Amino acid sequence: MNNLTVPPLIAFLFFPGGLFLMFGGMAYEWIDRKLVARFQNRIGPRWFQPLADVVKLLSKEEIIPQGVDRILFYLLPVLALSAALASALYVPIAGFAPAYSFKGDLVVTLYMLSVLTLCLGLAGANTPNRFALIGATRTLTQLFSYEAPFLLALLGPAIVAGTWTIGEINFYTQLHPWQMILTQPLGFVVALVGLMGKLELPPFDAPEAETEIVAGALTEYSGRGLALFRIGKNVELLIGLTLVSAFYLGGVGNPLLFVVKTVGLLFVMAVLQSLFARLRIDQTVGLWWRIGALLALLNLLVVALFRALA
Amino acid sequence: METSLPTPWQQALDKLRDWARINSPWAIHYNSGSCNGCDIEILATLTPRYDIERFGIKLQGSPRHADVLICTGPVTRQSRDRLLRIYEQMPDPKFVVAVGSCGISGGAFRGCYNIVGDISAVIPVNVYIPGCPPRPEAIIYGVVQLLETLKKPVA
Repeated sequence: MNNLTVPPLIAFLFFPGGLFLMFGGMAYEWIDRKLVARFQNRIGPRWFQPLADVVKLLSKEEIIPQGVDRILFYLLPVLALSAALASALYVPIAGFAPAYSFKGDLVVTLYMLSVLTLCLGLAGANTPNRFALIGATRTLTQLFSYEAPFLLALLGPAIVAGTWTIGEINFYTQLHPWQMILTQPLGFVVALVGLMGKLELPPFDAPEAETEIVAGALTEYSGRGLALFRIGKNVELLIGLTLVSAFYLGGVGNPLLFVVKTVGLLFVMAVLQSLFARLRIDQTVGLWWRIGALLALLNLLVVALFRALA
Repeated sequence: METSLPTPWQQALDKLRDWARINSPWAIHYNSGSCNGCDIEILATLTPRYDIERFGIKLQGSPRHADVLICTGPVTRQSRDRLLRIYEQMPDPKFVVAVGSCGISGGAFRGCYNIVGDISAVIPVNVYIPGCPPRPEAIIYGVVQLLETLKKPVA
């Protein structure tokens, strides 16, 4: 039941690294939008919609507003996308073994994924626009609230598997497919909802609430920068889904299992997205620290107790 | 200016760009002084009943993200500067759709002391949608007409 491996150069440019992730991310964005549309009794976008959006944005004019740091304005979208793409090298995308792995790459991957959110916050704070500033503040506030519970929730399976390497945890969960979801349901729920917070999906979309603060941190971005941030977010969606299904849903052993498990998770996320209305930013923080963090800690405590007793 | 014929590579890129532009028009909505009738119809157009996400149309909050400015009503003296500012904040290529009789001619407000004129008196308009107010079907038809004009090569 071991994973397949890919040669390094292909890993870097095409398969888990570059093109595959971008197009895969777009495909998952389409599935998400289509599912939400169907839940709202709509027809929904056509299958190429995310691709058309990205190509159109890339071919549009990029306006640099007055009063921004030009280098940061150009650099931040690139940095965000590259961090998201780089984190994929340590994740078993599509059921193949991670292209690279070392001891403790779980922590590195999670922090690479947060770089995108950090760049988003910086991008908003860089522009002299009041909406972008409020959006940036909210983005960073939300980062500080979901990050700890999400990390704690992913640590549960890591402690049970006895390793902090994503590839090995994936291998362990493949050997014990039902163990994680049955013994740590709390951790699974926190990880899933944490992923929604990470991606700023409803009900955690206060940072980009268009009815209040126009478009959040990205208000002043047009064309290329906006397109890169969108691709980055799609890549993060794909990686996040892979991580949660590798840790809690019995691992991703081959491409078929990968598609079934990640799309299943995406389905649940789409249901939650259409069920709940947007939370205020203080409600989001309260939810994460009062309930999310406590649940994740409880989960960790139970895991630690069992390990101490066994 | 380049005078040589476009290379096949350039033509293919142009085709891809036009395709993307036609299939993903993001809109922003501005009321420059209308009676709100047209705005209600535009909001009705955005509801699940008409589901314009089928065509890739999305309502954006920020003018920086938008391709199409959907504008209603005559332009009052007060909103003239705002309308101009929103238009200039939009990145190229940008298009303007004037919705309703007032956007076309000033309608019932024509000649009022506080009216600059119709929308084309302030910014260039690509498509006019008549009606007082136009039905959502008419608004969708108008936007589709705008997208049809994008298919033809610009001379």
